[in-house]
Amino acid sequence: MTDNNYLQVDYLVKYFGDDRAVDGISFGIPEGKFLTLLGPSGCGKTTTLMCIAGLHKPDAGEIRIGADPVTSMEKSINIAPEKRNIGMVFQSYAIWPHMDVTQNVAYPLEIRNMAQSEIDDRVAEALKIVGLTDMADKNATQLSGGQQQRAALARAMVFRPRLLLFDEPLSNLDLKLREQMRVELKRIQHEIGITSIYVTHDQAEALVMSDEIIVMSKGNIEQSGGPHAIYARPVNKFVSDFIGVANLTEGRIVGNGGAGTGTIEIAQGGEDVQLPCLLADGLAEGDDAYLSVRPENVNASRKPVDGPRIEGEVIQSVFLGNCLDCRVKWGEFEWKVLAHSRERLRVGEKVYVSLDPDHTLAVKP
Amino acid sequence: MTTDTASPHIDVAPPRGWRTWFTQENLITTVVGIIVAVAVFLPLIALVINSFLVLDDLGFDTEWGLQNYREVFQGRVIRKALVNTALISTGCTILATLLGVSLAWVNARTNCPFREQLEPFNLIPFFLSPFVGAIAWHNLASPKVGLLNNMAKSIFGISFPLFNVNNLWGVIWVTGIFFAPLVYLFVVGSLRRMDPSLEDSARTTGAGLLRTTMTITLPLVTPAILSGAIIVFVTTAGEFGVPFKLSAPFGWETLTTQIFTKAVGDDANHYLGAAMSMVVGVVTAFFIWIQHRIIAPRAYTTVTGKGFRPNLIDLGGWKWLAFGYNVFYVCVAVILPIICLLFVSLHKIWSGSVIWSELTFWNYQKVLFFWWPESIDAATNGIINSFILAFGGASIAMVLAIIVSYMIHRTKGFGSKMLDFLSVIPIGFPGIVLAMGVLVTYIKTPIYATLWILLLGYITRFFPYGQRNISSIMMAVSEELDQSSRMAGASWLTTLRRITIPLLKPGIFAGWILLFVIFLRELSISIILYSVGTETLSVGVYYLSNFENEPMTAALSIAQTVALLICVVIFRKVAGKEALTA
Repeated sequence: MTDNNYLQVDYLVKYFGDDRAVDGISFGIPEGKFLTLLGPSGCGKTTTLMCIAGLHKPDAGEIRIGADPVTSMEKSINIAPEKRNIGMVFQSYAIWPHMDVTQNVAYPLEIRNMAQSEIDDRVAEALKIVGLTDMADKNATQLSGGQQQRAALARAMVFRPRLLLFDEPLSNLDLKLREQMRVELKRIQHEIGITSIYVTHDQAEALVMSDEIIVMSKGNIEQSGGPHAIYARPVNKFVSDFIGVANLTEGRIVGNGGAGTGTIEIAQGGEDVQLPCLLADGLAEGDDAYLSVRPENVNASRKPVDGPRIEGEVIQSVFLGNCLDCRVKWGEFEWKVLAHSRERLRVGEKVYVSLDPDHTLAVKP
Repeated sequence: MTTDTASPHIDVAPPRGWRTWFTQENLITTVVGIIVAVAVFLPLIALVINSFLVLDDLGFDTEWGLQNYREVFQGRVIRKALVNTALISTGCTILATLLGVSLAWVNARTNCPFREQLEPFNLIPFFLSPFVGAIAWHNLASPKVGLLNNMAKSIFGISFPLFNVNNLWGVIWVTGIFFAPLVYLFVVGSLRRMDPSLEDSARTTGAGLLRTTMTITLPLVTPAILSGAIIVFVTTAGEFGVPFKLSAPFGWETLTTQIFTKAVGDDANHYLGAAMSMVVGVVTAFFIWIQHRIIAPRAYTTVTGKGFRPNLIDLGGWKWLAFGYNVFYVCVAVILPIICLLFVSLHKIWSGSVIWSELTFWNYQKVLFFWWPESIDAATNGIINSFILAFGGASIAMVLAIIVSYMIHRTKGFGSKMLDFLSVIPIGFPGIVLAMGVLVTYIKTPIYATLWILLLGYITRFFPYGQRNISSIMMAVSEELDQSSRMAGASWLTTLRRITIPLLKPGIFAGWILLFVIFLRELSISIILYSVGTETLSVGVYYLSNFENEPMTAALSIAQTVALLICVVIFRKVAGKEALTA
């Protein structure tokens, strides 16, 4: 598979002092795709991006764009960032305050000694794509956050780089603008068809924008895959917890039904319950595991249901319009339940909890 | 799936990839780092070595020993100089701190009338030469020729001399009023940026105005006050001009005046001079270390960087007292000295009182008209040399400052930490100490007795001042602005030229002018390193004071002062009002 990848990172290692910030990770991305490195702060995602950009020098590993290695510590290659032909949008936008918008966007083209007429055409085109045509003569300091963001994007793509890197570009915007820019960024990326790597700690951003997501923690890759797969089939506790909301509780695999299905046993307050579930890759009978199920796949009803019996008490019920956000106490454990609003579950009521076996997962600890 | 989920954990020692080290950035910063390290360390190492070499009785051979240090602590003259230095530094620190803190408080936190107009005048002594101040006060308040004493005599009929500055008190007075702005600058920023809610909450508990000021406001700025006081102590310990003019001729030598006699003249003994410099240097470096490591880090813990509008205290009728106090300071520190020098410089012979009928520009012709055969070479050379040194020195020092700041704030690892350290060391050593080190290092090289050795001494001692100007801005400018230029395809040097330096421009200008001012008035390095033909402006003043007469001295002093005042005006235009405040 790796031969098809436009960008390939192999065994990347980066130390900060004694701290192994990036711990020998490998991944790749096919041409034209949008890849997101997702993880909490300190997980090594930005360091990985900086190594790809050439702004940090890794301690080991190889980075290849197309056929050329841009970094190969074994071969003592580390191409300077300016020679890599990569566009980058920074967290602070990094719009130069001593230049106006046009000068900012024209800068990469001037560095490449292009003819003035071509510079003018390309700058106008880039500003049109990001919707800043009217702002061309404005000083950088006169732009709003969202406009600076657009100008930074125009500057990063105006020289038609091989790769576009985004370092948490939306984290400084307010919520509304952020949601709007997500869609906008994705549209522009699709329009110009440029291979992109996007770093964020915001899982919603990652789910909306990416073709492929890599979830990282402590310098390692936890899981990679499409947004749907990451959300619906997390492989371990970390990913399940980090992406969306999940009911997570300790258990043990007690049966294997083949074809990825099995049975997990969970215990709470003296009660043992065995639940049919889908097994994450590599889990076998007798393994410790976590039960992971999203609140929308948990059902709570007043009447007993068939199958394993989990009886609890409603301790919170918040009406959200389209649904009820409930907590059901079962032993020490609280089930998070998104119930249909017509259920009208009230605090103090006894209810029976049941799980949808197709969406009940056993994941690695 | 396009990725390996479980990447193998490799635990080998990372391959070093040494060829990847050779980048524009690494090469240039390493070269500059080595130059700075050599420039700073070489004189200090030479100073240490020479201080342990003892000159034999014939004055030809040396041997290793501690005799120089014994001489410093037990020899009658030098030990007395050591005591005098301690007395002057302590006295000056007390006076300058009292003046600086009170003026800063009056200007920043009270409704003293015209405080905004007075503030620039409060800061003028910071830019002027204390040596010239000493000359002015010598002419104002000497027992026989002092203008103030003679006026007291003719107006009030007081027959005995009212003032006498030709002693240790005079040195403390002049250094105190000239170094007060140093404390002022440390304190006023903290006072202005203090969160007013800290004081408001004291007021709500029932504390009165005065009580709040004494128990909340001043304690909060104590780190700033201590920092300022330490800088004043160290600066005074290394001050040469004022004790040389006021106390040394009357029997009160200091270590600096003693170092001077050991560096030049018939009595020269560089080894003994090195030992004395070591004693001064160890003490001052220790104090600066305390300031840097212990006091400065605490300065901002209660004083945030947010732009607060501080509470102003209504002094009521007392505000006119505060105004009078402020004006009094400006008079004794700026106006009286300049007026006095002006009068003295317009007489052919000065006898302590103004003779209106005999005013003449003769002295100015003697010291300024370099094309005129009868002009005095030491003065005219000094003017030309000082402008060359100030222009060249400030420019070179700022280039160093930019690269050094870049290394400190934009690179990581050993080089960055070492340069941060190197940029503090010169501040810990008074000019005369460092100059002694430069002298013993380079005395046998061709740069001795040229302007180059002066340039080297100036830059080594003062580039940290420029570096601080740059660093404060560089810390506020995001590194991403540089990085995005690299990503746009610009090399390290192009990024420096097109992004980094333009963004630092205000700091570069302000730093350049500050260094220009410092170099234009520099005395204690120049006096050790000059030789015939390489006099500087302040050395010219020294020469006239020693070998010519007071009126000529006053004329050159006025010329220097005018040049410095022009720089002050430009500095305020370029750097803005708050630029100096720490």
